[in-house]
Amino acid sequence: MNTNKQRPFLFFVLVSLFYLPVLSVLSRAFLRKNALTEILSFLGSDLFIKVLTFTTKQALLSALFSLFLALPGAYFFGRYHFPGKRLLRSIMVLPFMLPGILAVLSMVVFYGRNGAFNQLLSQLFPGKKLAFSGLYGFKGIVLTHVFYNFSFCLRMLGERWERLSPKLEEASITLGAGKLETWWRVTFPLLLPTIGYLFTLVFLYSFLSFTVVLVLGGYLYQTFEVLIYIEYNHKLNFDRASLLATCQLLLLAGVLSLQSWTGRIAQRQTGVASPLPTLKLKKQPQAVLFFLLYLALALIFFILPVLLVLIRSFKSRGLPTGAWTINNYRLLLGEGFRFAAGKRLVTVLLTSVTLSGTVALITLVLAYLLARKRRRLRWDTFDLWLQLPMGISFLTFSFGLMNLTGRFLPSSVLVLWAQIFLAFPLVYSILRTARREMGEELLEAAGLLGASGYELFMTVELPLMRKALGSAFAYGIALSLGDLAAVLTLGQGKLVTLSVAVYRLIGHYHFPLATALGTVFILLSVLLFSLIEGGNCYLKELP
Amino acid sequence: MKKNFLQIDVEKNYPGFQIQADLTVGEGEFFSLVGPSGCGKTTLLRLISGLERPDRGRIILAGSDLTAVSPVERRIGFVFQDYALFPHLTVTGNIEYGLRVKRLPGSQRSARVKELLALFELEELRKRSIQELSGGERQRVALARALAPEPFLLLLDEPFSALDYGLRRRLRRELRDLQERLGFTTIFVTHQQEEALSLSERLAVMNNGRIIQMGTAVEVYNNPAHPFVAKFLGDANLIPCHVETTAGKLTINPQAGHSFLHPATRGEEPGTYLLMIRPEDLVITSGEAIFEGQLITLEYLGYGYYLEVKIAKELVLKINVSKEQQGLHKGQFLKLTPKKGKIKLIPINS
Repeated sequence: MNTNKQRPFLFFVLVSLFYLPVLSVLSRAFLRKNALTEILSFLGSDLFIKVLTFTTKQALLSALFSLFLALPGAYFFGRYHFPGKRLLRSIMVLPFMLPGILAVLSMVVFYGRNGAFNQLLSQLFPGKKLAFSGLYGFKGIVLTHVFYNFSFCLRMLGERWERLSPKLEEASITLGAGKLETWWRVTFPLLLPTIGYLFTLVFLYSFLSFTVVLVLGGYLYQTFEVLIYIEYNHKLNFDRASLLATCQLLLLAGVLSLQSWTGRIAQRQTGVASPLPTLKLKKQPQAVLFFLLYLALALIFFILPVLLVLIRSFKSRGLPTGAWTINNYRLLLGEGFRFAAGKRLVTVLLTSVTLSGTVALITLVLAYLLARKRRRLRWDTFDLWLQLPMGISFLTFSFGLMNLTGRFLPSSVLVLWAQIFLAFPLVYSILRTARREMGEELLEAAGLLGASGYELFMTVELPLMRKALGSAFAYGIALSLGDLAAVLTLGQGKLVTLSVAVYRLIGHYHFPLATALGTVFILLSVLLFSLIEGGNCYLKELP
Repeated sequence: MKKNFLQIDVEKNYPGFQIQADLTVGEGEFFSLVGPSGCGKTTLLRLISGLERPDRGRIILAGSDLTAVSPVERRIGFVFQDYALFPHLTVTGNIEYGLRVKRLPGSQRSARVKELLALFELEELRKRSIQELSGGERQRVALARALAPEPFLLLLDEPFSALDYGLRRRLRRELRDLQERLGFTTIFVTHQQEEALSLSERLAVMNNGRIIQMGTAVEVYNNPAHPFVAKFLGDANLIPCHVETTAGKLTINPQAGHSFLHPATRGEEPGTYLLMIRPEDLVITSGEAIFEGQLITLEYLGYGYYLEVKIAKELVLKINVSKEQQGLHKGQFLKLTPKKGKIKLIPINS
């Protein structure tokens, strides 16, 4: 195979488009007089230590709690067979599929000072004045990250558990090890790489968290991402922003290498596969009781908040006293909305649809062209280069993009570019896996029957790839719709998408409107999610 | 048969399926359970190992009743079909596992592991991870791991099924040599008749959750008590026939062919039977014959020929003849007769 095929021109274009902005940030930080001294003194500054401590601490706790809470659920989903398992599994992953700003909205509606949780507490313990008031602060940030990542951990760990052959445990038992010892010596070590992988993944998500910390952290709690945004957008301190971005990139490199290591081990050990879990839940009454309790708590704390956004949108005042109404939806069309969100609803919807559609389409075409070029090759370093954007701070990229081209490109193009960068890794990995799995035999067979290139593509390749393309397209749209960072940083206030509108409505404490718009947004996300679920067989290759 | 070592009489019910097994295995014996896929062989092994509990019955091993004993304490080694080796442990780690959970002191443990590594020629692979082993090597590790804690009984669930033919034959021989040398009692499950016949001292043929016939390989092959056994172990021609008895002689009237006399050997009653003749026990003759028909299939096999002769509208006989047989061609009319003493009568309702 010639080298040209392995490293197509498109690959170099994409790598340049993705990495030049990041390089521009690095060059801004390094190519200056006394750059090193400045970086070193910044590394010792109070600000850096404070941000580092907070960012790391919240990320560690978020990862720890997410996994700790997901572990029992993963056991049930991985080891037992019960009716409705598939549906339940899809429902449980809902929070993770929500755009960041909707996760925040759900949390505010449920855990906010006048939220449903506090009202429940006051009804359950009247006169005791029990109330949770920590949503806007450290606890709230960790809680929201757990809310967001718990379901993801549950899903991934459950699927890993399901793939562990029950025969391994049986082998251990016939060799004389009891249940506890088998868990400690066989099951746990086999789950450990996945646990490690998920831990670093949630750590990374929380470390790079922007939307959640921007809304709930105020001026007291800032991650690197939020601080870069503030330094750049509010204080116009470009040098400080590039310093922060550079330091964060260095830290991330460490976390990323740890993550890829655990991911590799997790994949290597999937050798022994099991077709289906063997245990039947109905035969074990104690397990059923425990599972139901777990499920109830998980649904109350992680799924109910999302449902409450829907319910609240049909209430005239706060929960639970307000009367039922559709007035909130009527208000979406009024002046109040335009004042708080900055644009009319129609404009917001049109902007969102156009932007996300364009992002998804361009990403899909680029990713598919590349996946097609590389269809005969194994997953290698070149693919890894295209995956790396997932681990690079999005704010750093956006800031670098502005730095590099902001003077001569309109903001809408910049947002488009940034969102393609955001969506590309996932869209590409879905299409790359699917296209490789499809193989060449069918196309060759059709070719021998006399189909020409165009016919081959339309009659064989496209129908076979339809599910994967649909799923990848839906991901592209979902990621674009969910993005707040790029639109806020690069849109210069002119672009108002659904995320920005909800963000502004929350900022104005305009919850009737926020929940009404949020409901529309949730329904849209669920629709996209069902499209993604339809084609999710192509995600199996990810660890 | 050797002294009774394992006695099983169990019943286990599933929706639409029932296992009912009653068998005994002698000490140090190599015993095979053979039957088609889904006949309940693996489930029976799992009942013996304790991984499944019977609904009724008892399992007695070396004089003690194991029915209520947990699989952890049974000391029964199990080699799974896909080996179920621990992917997070090395070869040594896998073999050592059973000794470690038994809390055997370090020195004894390493001595035993060393012994097994040598026995199975795994010394050079001892630090390898499972993913780095070939199919045959994995099989050896699985065997070593199961034998390490010195089990009373070793259960092997189709351990050769994932291997290619040549390797399967070699490992089969190795396993049998080893078993003879060390003398561990073994129950071997397979759906391959050749494997069962070549390995076992005694075997049991299973179908639909029940044991149909038990005995030595030669006994079961030569005297199948049931049409299923005749067809499953080796190839067989089964021709419906009517039998009459007169003064110690049987008159056999096959559905297609001439009737003939045969000495009564097992006190057969008059009635309807299946006349069983193995393909290698039929010969082509120019003289008096029992069957006549047209040669419809002729396959050259290297060491001989395989023929099919149509003796009636829906009755075709299979025959194996040596390569010395000359002048065969399709469409030819052939006369066939069984070798002396090589016919068996199987009661039709057995």
